Amino acid sequence: MAVDEPLGEAYEEKQHQAAYIFDPSDAVDDGTRPAKRRRVSKKLKKSEAHTVASTSVYPRLFDGAESERCAHIRQQLFEHTWSKIESRIQRILREANQSTLRQVTSFLQAAPDHAPVGKIPSAFIITGPNIASQDLLFEQLAETLQLQADASVVRLRSGDASNLKAILKKMIHDAVAKVTDDEENDLEVAVSKDGRRFLNYDLEALHTHLKSSPRRHVVIAFQDSEAFESGLLSDLISLLSSWLDRIPFALLFGVATSVELFEARLLKSTCQCLYGRQFDVEQSATIVAKVFKAAVAHSEAPLRLGPNLVSSLLERQRDQVASIPVFVSSLKYAYMCHFYANPLTVLFSEELDEDALHGENLEALRCLPSFRHSVEMAVKEGDIQRARLLLEDDRYLTTYLRDRLEHFRHWAVKFLRILKIITINNSSSAGLADMYLDSLLRGVNLSDQDAEIGESIKRMQPSDSILFLTRLLDVIDNGDPSLGLDAGAGDTEEAVMELSDILADIKRLHQENEEEGKVLRSKYSGQSKIVRTTVVAQKVQLSRDTAALTDNDKLYTDLMDRVLEQLRIVLRVEGAEDLVFNEIWLYDSKALYKDVFIPRPRGVGERALSRPHDYLGCSCCRSREDQVMPTFPTTAVLYQLYLETGSLINVADLWSAYYAIVGEDNEGGLDERTALVLFYRAMAELRVMGFVKQSRKKADHVAKLAWKGL
Amino acid sequence: MASIFELPEDLLATLAESFPCRDAQIRALATLLYPRAAPCRNLIVHGTEATGKSAITTTLLAALRDDPGTDLNYATVKSAECVTARHLFERTVGLVADAVQWQGPAPGRCETLAALTVELSRMLKYAERDAADRFVLVFDGIDRQREAPPTLLPALARLSEIIPNLTNIFILTTPSPSLLRCSSPPHLHFPPYTKAQYLSILSRQPPPSSLPNTAPEETAELWTRFAAAVHDSLTRPAARTLPALKHACAALWPRFTAPVAVGTHRAREFSRLLIAARAYFQDEGVLEPGILSSVPSTTKPATQSLANGTAAIAVGAGAGTAPPAKNPNKPKPSTDLSTLLPPTARLLLIAAYLASHNAPRHDNTLFSTWHNPHGRRRRAVNTQARHSKKSKHRKIARKLLGPGVFVLERMVAIYVATRREWVGDHDENNAGGGNGKVVVGVDGDVGMAIATLASLRLLVRVGGGAGAAVGGADLDRGGRWRVNVGWEVVRGVGRSMGVEVEEWLVE
Repeated sequence: MAVDEPLGEAYEEKQHQAAYIFDPSDAVDDGTRPAKRRRVSKKLKKSEAHTVASTSVYPRLFDGAESERCAHIRQQLFEHTWSKIESRIQRILREANQSTLRQVTSFLQAAPDHAPVGKIPSAFIITGPNIASQDLLFEQLAETLQLQADASVVRLRSGDASNLKAILKKMIHDAVAKVTDDEENDLEVAVSKDGRRFLNYDLEALHTHLKSSPRRHVVIAFQDSEAFESGLLSDLISLLSSWLDRIPFALLFGVATSVELFEARLLKSTCQCLYGRQFDVEQSATIVAKVFKAAVAHSEAPLRLGPNLVSSLLERQRDQVASIPVFVSSLKYAYMCHFYANPLTVLFSEELDEDALHGENLEALRCLPSFRHSVEMAVKEGDIQRARLLLEDDRYLTTYLRDRLEHFRHWAVKFLRILKIITINNSSSAGLADMYLDSLLRGVNLSDQDAEIGESIKRMQPSDSILFLTRLLDVIDNGDPSLGLDAGAGDTEEAVMELSDILADIKRLHQENEEEGKVLRSKYSGQSKIVRTTVVAQKVQLSRDTAALTDNDKLYTDLMDRVLEQLRIVLRVEGAEDLVFNEIWLYDSKALYKDVFIPRPRGVGERALSRPHDYLGCSCCRSREDQVMPTFPTTAVLYQLYLETGSLINVADLWSAYYAIVGEDNEGGLDERTALVLFYRAMAELRVMGFVKQSRKKADHVAKLAWKGL
Repeated sequence: MASIFELPEDLLATLAESFPCRDAQIRALATLLYPRAAPCRNLIVHGTEATGKSAITTTLLAALRDDPGTDLNYATVKSAECVTARHLFERTVGLVADAVQWQGPAPGRCETLAALTVELSRMLKYAERDAADRFVLVFDGIDRQREAPPTLLPALARLSEIIPNLTNIFILTTPSPSLLRCSSPPHLHFPPYTKAQYLSILSRQPPPSSLPNTAPEETAELWTRFAAAVHDSLTRPAARTLPALKHACAALWPRFTAPVAVGTHRAREFSRLLIAARAYFQDEGVLEPGILSSVPSTTKPATQSLANGTAAIAVGAGAGTAPPAKNPNKPKPSTDLSTLLPPTARLLLIAAYLASHNAPRHDNTLFSTWHNPHGRRRRAVNTQARHSKKSKHRKIARKLLGPGVFVLERMVAIYVATRREWVGDHDENNAGGGNGKVVVGVDGDVGMAIATLASLRLLVRVGGGAGAAVGGADLDRGGRWRVNVGWEVVRGVGRSMGVEVEEWLVE
């Protein structure tokens, strides 16, 4: 122990560095008693620090020049904002399961009435392949069933079910312990009325327990039913069905693929014991879209996450077996990174006090590219005075900063509202995410890049345009609680008035035309061109004709033109990158996220072995691409040779090749004995790392196990 | 006491009434159990499933126990409910204690056969009882006992030698000649019912409901003929048990008689009815609705589905010549993995299938771009035609054989080799614009996908370590694996990605 602990300590200090040389010897040296005493005291201090304020986790940035308080504020800001976001996400996740919960509960409640005799009512919940994320669902199911269906629920995972006895043990223990909750009762239950002790896998115990505290159901939930061994499951089900006349069992299966595939794995006789119904949970894609709304796009989310990061997150949800908890923790990680490493995040705080706004922070603000750009713009516009003030007067800069941050908040709301309006027509919220990613950085402008949207609005039929305008006004009037949008037109009130006038006009025109039985159209709508078919001498001739527009049509055309004009005013916002100080509230780096959430252990190991210089940073190992240097660590040299071999490696050949590189023939070469020792050690290391193993195919050969790049 | 040998005749008569066609068995059983007849020590009752062994035994014993003239008591131990041999012993002791209303000290642990003997002796042998009373211990389904030691049956048979007054009944499917290792215990066989017996049993129970516009006698007659037809078409070849026949009759009756109810046929026209309902007698679909009587995603309870089926048939019959449609409630099987799995997992599944069904020596030809200047891999050439001419032995297509075992590293290599080609084709423009490079390589996500496939048992680990890592937690690249899905599934998955898996298989 005394030796191990200092090692752990040494590791702890270094574990946040990207790379370090692991040298246990120096730590062991002072592993004596006094060193230990010192370490203990240090630990005490640490725990004290923890109790006093669990806050000083964030380091002081600017190379330590940042004030303690700022670091503290940053951490608090993170905790505060994230807890808000997380509660929103949790609410969404819990709500998402509600309908499934209701259905399952009502099925189980009604099951005794319509289930055939001798069949176990079972609910098959199709959860999708990310079983790991269904913990919440089963937790909720357990809660709901306990409360509403008077059931005691036992949740089983494939991990705690190696054999029948173990499953039964867990089942009985959980079912009994849930109710009694204390040791004495637990013991009591395991004993029958005449004093016999039950075996801990004897369902009789459960039966006896149910006599004293009756329940309508005993629900056994198999969370990842596919992962259970099918023979075991069949066995268990037939056992349960033999007890069904005494214990009211019901089963829940979490099925990742489909009931049919699951059925194919069970014995036919087992299947006949089940009386089942299939239930679906909400698609993870829709949940992701909702979480996106609540966590990324929401107006109260202080941080704007950039399209680079978010699109790779969403793509991962689509392509990989990634669950929603992973998505959420990725978002959390992005927040953590931003608040941890960006000293300027302190400026998010509501009360920007003088402490936060001095010295280093202001200096850092002046270094921001967006700030420099704005100063350059000021110079270009000839506003030298302002540029000078910005650069020199701290007070002026502070005011400017406040103003800009305020502007950012307005911008965020406006941006969301515009997104919402643009995506009015496609009801899916995935459209919102796409639009968000598209236009966050470059903004929205109907006259240039988003002209398509304008065109499509222009071509609308009157009924569509009425619907569109109604919804648009509705969005402006009522906002959208799921995005945290408040009501109100903001700075575009005039345009809104104008739009509602136009809507009234269109409605009137539409009604007039309907009374006359005509179709209202504009010159933009597709029907303005009519294809005429004429048959002349057995040949079909097509001719296009422009249908004449009636007066009402012309009026409608004008109205649509005006709509577009107004929309150009309403739907215009600059991109995030054009805003000054966007570095404070924009986070768009995916490198860190990838390192943490999609590790590539194999790739890293290979790189370390083939280019040790990348990690060691010593001058002796610097090499060009794939060149072996005798100064490499022995394992790295061997690895290079290893890459050139086939699937069976002759160790003698490997040795001679190795010796040719490091041997005495070279400058500063090693003598044979030293080289041999190093060679053996390196071979052992390769084996430990899983690159080679002993082969029985040929004497003196080892088998190659790993190929590069896999 | 008038005679040494007598049987409780009236009791047997009522029993024979409730279990028709089992007179001989009931009498034999009563003879071997009744204290004033010829009680035996060990009795083996055997016969196939659902021939009335357990039911008749327990009913008879219950009746004998309740008969005031006999001092007989019994306990039934069901092996199906016992998880281990020890469990069986403890249950036996517990049930016996309950049966004799044991007042003495509570029995302790009972781990072995020896302990069982001690406990039973305490309760049955040394307790103060009449010399004439008997105790019957029934071991139901003892041949299916889990974790049974090899000495279990012989040792249980010895119990009756140690304890006088004890009769053991072993109920099992087929006795082997030296089952109890003692000389010729009486065997009582419950043979399967014959057709005549089936029909007489079924005709005792009236059809589920009387038919409209038909006299009750006609209905009964139709029911009998219908039951015979069901027996001949379904029960004789497939389901050979009484419950299965009853279930089949109950399920088919409404469909069969639907034309009568509608009025297109009359109850006397049996052959026409049979032809109209021909499809049901050929197809098991109605009888075996699958795992779950109501898996269909519709939220109707199962009882309705029957009614719906009937209604649909009625409409079909009313329309005229159209044969009855298949069960309209039958859901489309959603075995399509391609919609269930994300792309990476699908690619891995195909790679695993290829690794399982191609020999490693073909890998170079299939997946290497080394010899091919254009960087395209050579597809597998279908050489089956040539083979079948030359070789005398007919080779079975590999995809029809079971999957082979592969090393995980090889599967990952195939995944990496094929991914660039398969995904690259689709995402070329996408990758060029967005990410700059196609990320080919194996990262944590690929590992996660493999683990997911393993936990869904689409990939299974074989050999060492298979048991240790339930759910595929161990992703050692040297591990040996096997794909667990068939050709049809993989082809579907491949097509969903735009890949013809066939092109990558060497015959």
